[in-house]
Formats: sequence, structure tokens, C-alpha cells
Amino acid sequence: MRRRQFLKYGSVVAVFTTATVSLPSLLAAQIADPGDLPTGDDADFDLEIVDVDVELIDGSTVPMYAFSHAGQPPSIPGPILRVKQGDTVRIDIRNSSTKPHGFQILGQTNAATTGIAPSEGDGDDKVRIEFVATKPGTYFYVDGDNAPINRVLGLHGALIVEPTNGYADGAARKKPMPYPAGSATANMKSLFTAFGEATIDGKQARFPGKPWQAGREYVWIFNQIDPVLCRRIAAGENPSASEFQEQFHPRYFTINGLCGMDAAHDKATCPTGHVGEPALIRSMNAGLATHSPHIHGNHVFVLTQSNANGVPVYQQDLFEHDVWLMPPMMIKDVLLPFTTPPDLPPAPWRMVQEKYPLQYPMHCHNEISQTSAGGSYPMGLMTDWEIEGPLVTS
Amino acid sequence: MTTISRPIFDPQEFDTFGCHPFENDPATPDRITRQVYVERQVSSWNVNMKDGSQLQFWGFKDPTISGSDSPWPSKIIRVKQGQIFHCMFKPSKGAHTIHWHGIEPTPMNDGVGHTSFEVKSSYTYQWCAHQAGTYLYHCHKNTVLHFEMGMYGVLIVDPVTKSPDTNNPNYLYDPLPGDSAPGITTGAPYSAESILVFDDVDPRWHNLDHNAGMCGDDVGLDKFNPKYFLINGVHNGRSETDTKTVTKVVAGKNVLVRLANASYSRLYITLPVDAWIVEVDGRPLRANRAKGAFAAPRKLAANTRLEVAVAQRYSLWIPNIPRGDYRITGNFHHWITNKKHFDGTAVAKIIAT
Repeated sequence: MRRRQFLKYGSVVAVFTTATVSLPSLLAAQIADPGDLPTGDDADFDLEIVDVDVELIDGSTVPMYAFSHAGQPPSIPGPILRVKQGDTVRIDIRNSSTKPHGFQILGQTNAATTGIAPSEGDGDDKVRIEFVATKPGTYFYVDGDNAPINRVLGLHGALIVEPTNGYADGAARKKPMPYPAGSATANMKSLFTAFGEATIDGKQARFPGKPWQAGREYVWIFNQIDPVLCRRIAAGENPSASEFQEQFHPRYFTINGLCGMDAAHDKATCPTGHVGEPALIRSMNAGLATHSPHIHGNHVFVLTQSNANGVPVYQQDLFEHDVWLMPPMMIKDVLLPFTTPPDLPPAPWRMVQEKYPLQYPMHCHNEISQTSAGGSYPMGLMTDWEIEGPLVTS
Repeated sequence: MTTISRPIFDPQEFDTFGCHPFENDPATPDRITRQVYVERQVSSWNVNMKDGSQLQFWGFKDPTISGSDSPWPSKIIRVKQGQIFHCMFKPSKGAHTIHWHGIEPTPMNDGVGHTSFEVKSSYTYQWCAHQAGTYLYHCHKNTVLHFEMGMYGVLIVDPVTKSPDTNNPNYLYDPLPGDSAPGITTGAPYSAESILVFDDVDPRWHNLDHNAGMCGDDVGLDKFNPKYFLINGVHNGRSETDTKTVTKVVAGKNVLVRLANASYSRLYITLPVDAWIVEVDGRPLRANRAKGAFAAPRKLAANTRLEVAVAQRYSLWIPNIPRGDYRITGNFHHWITNKKHFDGTAVAKIIAT
């Protein structure tokens, strides 16, 4: 997917020009990072939009839309697109659905296209967007057409921008961090510097074990499904956005497209690890309901929160929550520290009769979301996470 | 058309995950000598609603105190940070659990059926809170229904030390060497405390059975149309005068307001006076590198809206409160449309004299 470009100077120069033009507005809107300049590296993706039937947890199916890597099986949410800060990102989109669609990355500049007609099937009717990825963090890509309908009906996914210099400890580079050293907040750097330290300032510290490791992360995308509206739209109805929002009555509540036990068993959804292995969770709400995810076992630190344009805002104060607020289209990167559950009796007490692994749920506390089709608690927006064993330091 | 299929699953496990969770009465694992002991049982009773109708509620009663049969919300539990806590729980009317919301013990003591067990007739929960702050406790069996039925209460973990300020002798949390909490007095010392739990009630749900919906039947738990709006179980017609929702304080002293959202609505809180957010979800807002804390208190200017997510807790600190009446207003909005519910306002009061 990624390759160093030596030959295509033309396109690199063109993109550089575009990026230069947009930089002043970028600077006005946010703290720019030196790493936001184009590096000349490329990230290319080939996506397809298709009509799908989705099998729900109770065995019923509903018609929706989905993204796929071209030629690969589709999924809801769409495939995770991972790029590096400064990459020139090219995304080709083919619309193999029966309806027109669009594509955009919220929070990135020059990253939108609308009104892609259904494909003729001759392979030539792709639409391309091309932009330079800036500001490391988590972004929504969506079909922004017919908003919010196409998005809620399945056309959403995550674009992740990784930093070029993601270290919390400067030149020592022993403490990786999924944000750039040049613009992460002091508290973000302090937190990532603290991971793996048994003592700080001569005192016993809170996060012994390992530093955060690049790639130790999970993506949680929340959505809601109204099977009646899905079927009506598949049958040819075209409700307006306001009609859709007025009538939206979800009966299924998903995390990464899964409900209840299916999500708890999904390796990509259920965080696992030992004490001392902090994990990043990129939480996103693609739907119209406001969720209140609640985690048992550990609190999380809220590191970023998306602004109205979908751009991550690095948090100066890292609030520790066991419930975090997720209104529609909110993106929050949260850090699950994987400490020993803090409310065990203190040493010399030892956990002997109760054994690892320690299993805990994460679920939305607006418990209506814990149902499917009007009942079946807890087959809704929940998953588990698991502490597999005691402290590891290497 | 392509079908996105469900993952392959084991039907028997599906059954125990949802429909028939594991029920048990085990001995508390790794049990040690307790420092605090409480008992809780399950009870049900009728509550008079604002329009004169009666609705069934369920809750946790303390069997050691007579006359505590209609506790909604269930009686506050207060413990001190660092105490070994035991709660002997004896459900009746079917299996239940207690989840100590925000407290993070072992899974056996966490009260969640599918990750441990539901209590059939008796279990003693054990944990030791390491951090003073504001928590809840609630039933985690068929939670969607049991939480709405009233099976929750406030759990407060108090700090070990007392404030040297005799006007404001109580701390929210113990200040630690190296703490930085700009804008406030570290520890948020207070004289009076207003503890407010906001809730909404859909009367239709209060006729449902204990296990309603658990085995695949559609009992309409996707439809929540709240009609009543309350604070601490006091309906919004009385909440500005009832002693459960009115806090009196001597002017010039500090007030601590603990907020919790036990509704299924978006809850917006406003105060007519400047306050400081000093705690979220049982974690004081302070910076202390060695202790792994990286936040500062945040000023909440008068009449600024604070959204409290469902089951979140916030503590607000009002220093040197001037003489006057202060209305703490909660507005309940629909969790999808974000439109305010009809009659969806409930107001508590602080009176500083």
C-alpha cells in the first residue's frame, strides 16, 4: 500500500502547492506541527462502495451500504486506512452500489468528492481524492452525500494518521506516543513518559510495566441500525435528512458492526494484554444517538476530542473517566492503562483463589443500547476487555 | 448482493451470555478481614408519581434498618478510602447483582453476570477503594430494565484526612505532596454537600417482568418515552422545596455539588453561580506526575451548560458561596433527537443564608 515515490515528481509538486495554499488556514485553526509538511511518501488506497445485506445478531438481515478494499469482502465499518503524517494520500473510489454516493475525510483538507454515479462496470469510472495527511490522530471517512443517511446506513470508517516523530521523551526515543512530539500537549507527553516507569521522583509510580508500543491500539466505531428505514430506502424511498432523523428508531446498536457476544469475541474489538501494557482506543460514533461508553476494571484517559470539523484536539487536561460522552460524530482517543484493577485490597493481600484472566465489560450506559430488537440484553453496544496476566516489564 | 454474515458462534455460549447467565452463591475468593460491613437486600414497592399514579419500583434495602423498605434511590453508602469493604447481598425475587460503578475490583466482585455470575441467594462482595470520590452502585442483571426500575444508589468514598479550615472541614479527596490544582484549594474543602442524582421514568417499563426481554422476545426496550423527571427520587414539582433536594449552607462557606445522571436522557446541568469542576468519575482533577494524574480543575462559569453523560459523575466546588438562592437546573433531552422532553426539567436548590 505504501511506497517511496522517486519518479512522480509532478504529482508531488502539485500536492505541495495545494498544501502550501491551505497552510495559513490550518495554522489559524490549530497548532500546526512541523511534521504536517509533505514528506513525498505516498499512501494509496482503492476503495469500492457496494450494496450489502447485513446479518444481525438475531439472524435477521437488513440492506445497507458498505466500503471494501476493491475486490475484497465489504465490511461495516469500512477498512481502517492507516497513513503517516505528511503522506500524500490517494484514494480511488468506485461506486458499485445502485445509488449515487460520495466520499470524504472529515477534518482533512481537499479530501472530499460528491455525487459519484453508479459504476458502468468498465473499470474506468473511479474518482480520486488526493491530499496530504496532517495532524496525527483519528478521523472519520464517510459518504458525506445525503447526510446523515448514507453514513448511518454503513458508509463510514476510520482514517488513522500516525506521527512521523511520535515520541514523548524527545531524543531518547524510548517512549513511543501516537501523537507528534512537536504539538502533543505537555500532559500527553507526561502520561506517555510515565508508562513503564516503576518509580518517578523516587516514589512508587502508577504505571510500571512497558511503555506504550506503536500499534498497540484498538478502534471502536459505534453505530445504530433502524431496520425499517434500511428496508424502506433499499425499496426505493428517498426520505429527506430531516425525515430520516425524525423517524430514526434504531433497534440494533453496534460496535465495529457487531453486537453483544459477537463484539466480545472479536479479537480486533476486545482489548487484551497483561498488566503494564497500555493500549490506545480510538472511539468514534458514526450514528445519531448519544452514547455513554462505560468501562469496568480501569478508567481511561481522554487524550483527544474531535472538534466540529472532525479534527482531533489534543487535550491539555487528561480527564480520567469510566464513562465518556460520545455524541454523534464525536471521536475520542482514550488510553486504557492496563493497570492492576486499582480497588483490590492492598498488599500483602494476594489474589490467589480468583485467577487470571480478569474479564471486564465495556458497554454503553444508556442501556437502551444494550438491547437488540426490543430485548435480548446485553446483545447491544458492548464488548469485553481482558487482563491476561500480572505485570510484565519486558 | 453480498451478505455480511454474523461471526460463527456457539449457541450454548450465546445462551449463557444473554438469556441464562450463570447464577451462583460462591464464597468470596481471597477473602480477608473487613473494616466496613453493609448488607443489602432487594425489595419492591410503589411510588406515588407527580400525577397521582402509582408505579412499581425496585431497589436495595438495608435489612438492618427497619422502615427502609422504599428506598429510591437506594440508601447512600459512604466508606473511607482504603477500608476493606464487605457487602453481604441477599437478592430475592430472582437473581440480581451489585455493580460498584466506578470502583474497580476483581471480576467476581464486579457484579456482571456474563463475566462472572449473578447472585442466586447470597454473596459477600469485597473491595477496597483506593481513591476518594463519587461513585454509584446498581444492579447489573438485565441492567437496561433493573437500572430504570430504580436499583441504584450513590456510593461515596471519603478521604482519610480532614481539612484544617474549620469553616470547611471536609475534603473531597486527600491532598497529596506534589499536587497541583490551580484555581482551587487542593482537596476541595467544603462545609455543605448537595448530592443530586437525576432520573427519568417511562411508566410502561414499570410493568415489565424481572427477566423481560432476556431470551430474544421483543418487549419494547428500544422504546423509552420518559414521562417523569426527578432528582433523588423527588419529582420535579417538589424538587425546589423537598429536603432531599434542597441544601442549606451558611453564606461564605464552600459547597460541594455531586452530580450523577441515572436517566436514559442527555442531561444538561446549569448553575447560576461560578463553580469549579474538581472531580470526574471518582478521579480528582489535579496534576501529580508520580501519582499519574494529569489534569487541572476546570472553571464552569455561571449559566454555562455542563452535559453529564449517562452514569457519569461530576463534582462541582463553589467556594465562599454568597448569600442567596441558587437553582441547579437539569434539562433532559432525547438521547437521539436531542430535543428536550416534555416537562423535562428538574431543579434542585442551594440556599445560602
